[in-house]
Amino acid sequence: MLSSTLHSTSFSPLLANVPSYASEFFKESNLSFITTSLFVAAIITGLLLWFARKATTNMTLIPHKTQNLFEFIVEFLFGQVEGIVGAKLAPKVFPLLATVFIYILVSNWFGLLPGVGTIGWGEGTGTLSVKEVHFALLRPPTTDLNAAFGLAAAMFVVWLYITIKEVGVWGFIVHTFGPKGGLKGIMGMMVALVFLFVGVIEIFSIVFRPITLSFRLYGNIIAGENVLHTMSGMGGFLGSILAPFPFYFMELLVGLLQAIVFTLLSTVYIQLSTAHDDHGHEEEGHH
Amino acid sequence: MDQIKGIAYQIAGDFGLAWGKFFAQVIIFIAVYSILKKYAFGPILAMLEQRRQRIADGEAKLEKIARDAAEAKQNTQAILDKAEADAARIVKEADDAAKAIQERRQQDAVASANTIIAKAREAAQLEQEQLMSQLKREFGRMVSDATSRVTGKVLNTEDQTRINQETAAQVSA
Repeated sequence: MLSSTLHSTSFSPLLANVPSYASEFFKESNLSFITTSLFVAAIITGLLLWFARKATTNMTLIPHKTQNLFEFIVEFLFGQVEGIVGAKLAPKVFPLLATVFIYILVSNWFGLLPGVGTIGWGEGTGTLSVKEVHFALLRPPTTDLNAAFGLAAAMFVVWLYITIKEVGVWGFIVHTFGPKGGLKGIMGMMVALVFLFVGVIEIFSIVFRPITLSFRLYGNIIAGENVLHTMSGMGGFLGSILAPFPFYFMELLVGLLQAIVFTLLSTVYIQLSTAHDDHGHEEEGHH
Repeated sequence: MDQIKGIAYQIAGDFGLAWGKFFAQVIIFIAVYSILKKYAFGPILAMLEQRRQRIADGEAKLEKIARDAAEAKQNTQAILDKAEADAARIVKEADDAAKAIQERRQQDAVASANTIIAKAREAAQLEQEQLMSQLKREFGRMVSDATSRVTGKVLNTEDQTRINQETAAQVSA
C-alpha cells in the first residue's frame, strides 16, 4: 500500500529505484535470513572487533593513537549518558547505549562508501556494468527495517528490564498513572482522572516507541541513499560525480544525527521511567 | 482489527520484515554489544578510572608537597627569626661588653695617668727639693766664701753653719 502510494507520486520518475528492503542471498530457503544487510552487519562487527582489539591491546597510561581515539569516544559518550541517567545508572546502561550509537554511526557512514549499494547484479549493459542494480551486494544495516526494528526492540527490552529493576512493577504503574502535584479533594480527583488518561496515552506511546525509533532511523537513512543514488544518476559521467558531492556531507551529518537521536531518545526513555522525582512525562522527541 | 492486521502485514511485506531476518540482526547486534563490552568499554573504562585515580593521587601529592613546602618555609622563617633575634642579642651583649671593657680600660688609663702624674709630681718635687737644697748649700758656701774673703777671717765650722742657715733662711724666704 505504502509502496504503491510512493509510486503514484509525481516524484517517483525522478527517484532512483533503491529497494526498500535488503536482498536475500538464498531466496526461498531456510537461509533466506542471510541478507546483504546482514552481510554488511557482519563486516561492521568484524571492523569494530578489529578496532576495539587494536585500541585496547598494549594499553598504557600514556595512550597510543588508536587507544586515544577510542578513549575519547568512550569518555565523551559516558559523560553524555551519565549526564542524563545519573551516576548510579550510567555504568549499567552505558555499554548498551554506546554500542547502539557506534553501531548505528558506523552503519550509517558505511552506506557512504563507494560501492555500497552500487556493486551488485542487474540487467547487463556491458562488461562489468549494469543498467540498474537489482541486487546490491552491500547494504548498510540501518537501511534494513529488520535491523532498525531489531535495535529498537532490543532497546525496548532493556528499557523495560531497567525500569522494572529500578522502580518495580508497582512503581512503574504509579509513575505512569499516578497523579502529580499533591492536590487533594475534588481537584485532586479531577487531576487523578486526567493523569489516568495521560497514563493511557503514555502506555500507547511506550508501545509505539520501537516503531517510531526504527522508522525514524530507517526512513532518514534510506532517504539519504535514495538522494545519493538519484544524484549519481544525473548529468552523465561528470554529473554523477559532482551532483552527489554536497549530499555526501549532508549524509555524513544525517548519519551522525540519527545515531545521536536514536541513542539520546533511548537514554531519555530510561531516565524518564527511572527518575524518582516528579519530572514531566516528556515523550517522543521528534526529528 | 483485521484491517490493522492487514496493514501490518502490508508494511512488513513492503519493507521486507521477517522474523528470521529480524532475529539475525538482533543476534548480530548482541554480538557487537558483547564484543565492545568485553574488548572495548571494559578495558577503556578501567584505564580511564586508573588514570583518573592516578591524577587524583598526583593532585593529592602535589597538595601535600605544597603543604610541606609551606610548612618548611614557615619553619625556615621561624629559624631565621630566631637566628636574627639571637644575633641581635649577641651583638647587643658584645656591644655592652665592649662598652664595659672600654669604660674599664678608660678608668684604668685615667688611673694610670693620675699615678704617672702623681709620680711625676713627686719626682719634680723631689728634684726641686734636691735642687733647692743644693742651691742652698752652694749659696751658703758662696756666702761663706765671700764672707771669709771680705772679712779675711777664716770661718770656723760653727760660723759656716750659722751663715749657711741664715742664707738658706733668706733664700727660702
